Amino acid sequence: MMRSNNKEADHSEKVLNGAIGCPGIVIGQTCIYKRRKPTVSSTRVADDGIPHQVDKFHQARKKAKKELQHLLGAGPDEDSVDLINTQIEMLKDPELCERVEQQISEHNQSADSAIHNVFGDYLEAIKQNHREDFLERSVDIADVRDRLIQIIHNHDDEIAAGSIMVAKELSPREVIAFSNQDIKGIVMDRGGTTSHAAIIARSMNIPTIVGVKKATRIIKAEDEVIIDGLNGDVIVHPTEKNKEKYRELIEQQVQISGDDEAVCSQPNRTADDHPFVLRANIEFPEELTSVEKYKAEGIGLLRTESSYLRESQFREEEHQEKFYSTILKATDPHPVIIRLFDAGGDKLFKESSKEQNPFLGWRGIRMLLDSPDLLDNQLRAILAAAGKHKQRVRILIPMISTPKQLHRIKERIETLQHELEEKGRETDPDVQVGIMVEVPNVALQARLFAREADFLSIGTNDLTQYVLAVDRGHEQISSLYEQRHPAIWQLINMVAQAGIEENTPVSVCGELASDPISACCLLGLGINELSMNPLILPKVKKMLCNRKLTDMQAFAKDLLEADTVDDINTLFLNWKESTNNT
Amino acid sequence: MNDAGLHARPASALVKLASKFESDFYIHMFGYKVNGKSILGVMTLAAEQGAELELELDGEDEEEAAEEIIALIKSGFGEVYEDDEE
Repeated sequence: MMRSNNKEADHSEKVLNGAIGCPGIVIGQTCIYKRRKPTVSSTRVADDGIPHQVDKFHQARKKAKKELQHLLGAGPDEDSVDLINTQIEMLKDPELCERVEQQISEHNQSADSAIHNVFGDYLEAIKQNHREDFLERSVDIADVRDRLIQIIHNHDDEIAAGSIMVAKELSPREVIAFSNQDIKGIVMDRGGTTSHAAIIARSMNIPTIVGVKKATRIIKAEDEVIIDGLNGDVIVHPTEKNKEKYRELIEQQVQISGDDEAVCSQPNRTADDHPFVLRANIEFPEELTSVEKYKAEGIGLLRTESSYLRESQFREEEHQEKFYSTILKATDPHPVIIRLFDAGGDKLFKESSKEQNPFLGWRGIRMLLDSPDLLDNQLRAILAAAGKHKQRVRILIPMISTPKQLHRIKERIETLQHELEEKGRETDPDVQVGIMVEVPNVALQARLFAREADFLSIGTNDLTQYVLAVDRGHEQISSLYEQRHPAIWQLINMVAQAGIEENTPVSVCGELASDPISACCLLGLGINELSMNPLILPKVKKMLCNRKLTDMQAFAKDLLEADTVDDINTLFLNWKESTNNT
Repeated sequence: MNDAGLHARPASALVKLASKFESDFYIHMFGYKVNGKSILGVMTLAAEQGAELELELDGEDEEEAAEEIIALIKSGFGEVYEDDEE
């Protein structure tokens, strides 16, 4: 605290990356939440102190129950209601009460240590009896224990309203309770998009980044941070320039939500009346409301790996089919592009040894072709759903680098379609099979792939990473990661041309598509199907509707002649100014 | 849609039903015995599909209780994870 010089040095901007728990952008001051591991007193209670300790336990139980009932009164979503009810049920558990009382009266333990021990026994039993995926349950049990002990210790958290909560991990109950105290955003060291806390945060619409790992080590209380819940970034001590940029984004979002209805009810046509298509990138059914709200014409990228990793039942074909059907039903009559599991072996099989270069390793199609059960299971679920929603399903293969990989998937699909038909299931003969363009050789050989695939979808995030040889998450070199790089535009152009020549539709589902000015270039290059986070869609649409395709084409031509990122930035700036003047 | 909700719901439904009856209710499984009126106890059970449970009921309303509890278990705990729209 005395070394103020060091402290100042710490105030340089840092960007931490995590997974998106709930999209959205907020700027604010942090509040660090430490769930202290409750230290319980080990002193022996005198015999005449026993009734007091028993009473303390029951008082704490009552208070905790009241708090939970209060949360129920705030009208949370269904998931939260289940969770809260289960926790209330625990507080009413007759066996729990009996055991805690017993510990106090027969073993002369204080209320807190009795609670600690009895819960400890339950947790131990769960640990022994359950497979890994059930352990999540124990989070909620430990949470009840901790709250009871906190109450006994008279410990309550002071949370400043409007702050951004930074914590190692929050229990779902804590997320609900904090959202009642008006926190603006959440950053967590642990957890994935799949954790229960993230699901609750999404349902409460609190911008959240999870799995940031170093968040609580790097971020201090009352630091200024930006949560960029569209890209999964947490920007600590943002520069004025960045703050300006994000304030603008927030403002646009507010404006958008103000006149989004007007924007989104317009037809998708440029100022000179050329049509274009905007779709949504999603991974959870919870996102369907924004898809509908912003009138996305279907799903341009349905990510499936998170759902697979999050839910063990997802591995059951029927459950998976239901998931696809839910998405298809909600987006009728538009197409849904389902990307096959795009994960590396590190995510799926923990025991497998860590790869030295996971992004260049056993992932996407490479892993799928080696895992026939996993692949067939997913394909069957997709094909069964497609049979019920004809001509709407498109399958997208990630990480393709050879035509043979595509052939093998197509063969698999054909075999599985036959099997389904033999079982009397309905199938859709028109299921399209397309590929992600993210490995650079595919862009360079775009005509070959355009002949083989039913459609091409450019994933600009990974393509950029591979072309520029920059690990996006690497702090020291992240400034080299530039999706607007001239080389990327040239590759995109090659793919667009190949698509036109081979009459194969080309779309872009990477981050580039969600930047309105870049979206203009993409249209200018002849790509008129873009897919993005649905929350960003109105902003992109507005720009595309305001400008003429002929101008976009001229703009794209200029871009292809640019030498450096600086040149491109200048062109972007000019475009922005000319848009403001129209 | 999530694991936590799925596993908690059947446990909670079972405990709620059992608590309506006077009879003592215990569940035996894999050599464990838990109090069927205790949610924490029930949650410690590894409720795998197809696992064998043995129910022990003792009390005045044991027959009625057994009937209803077995019906609940057979119905898949009245779970609604089949149709999320409803």
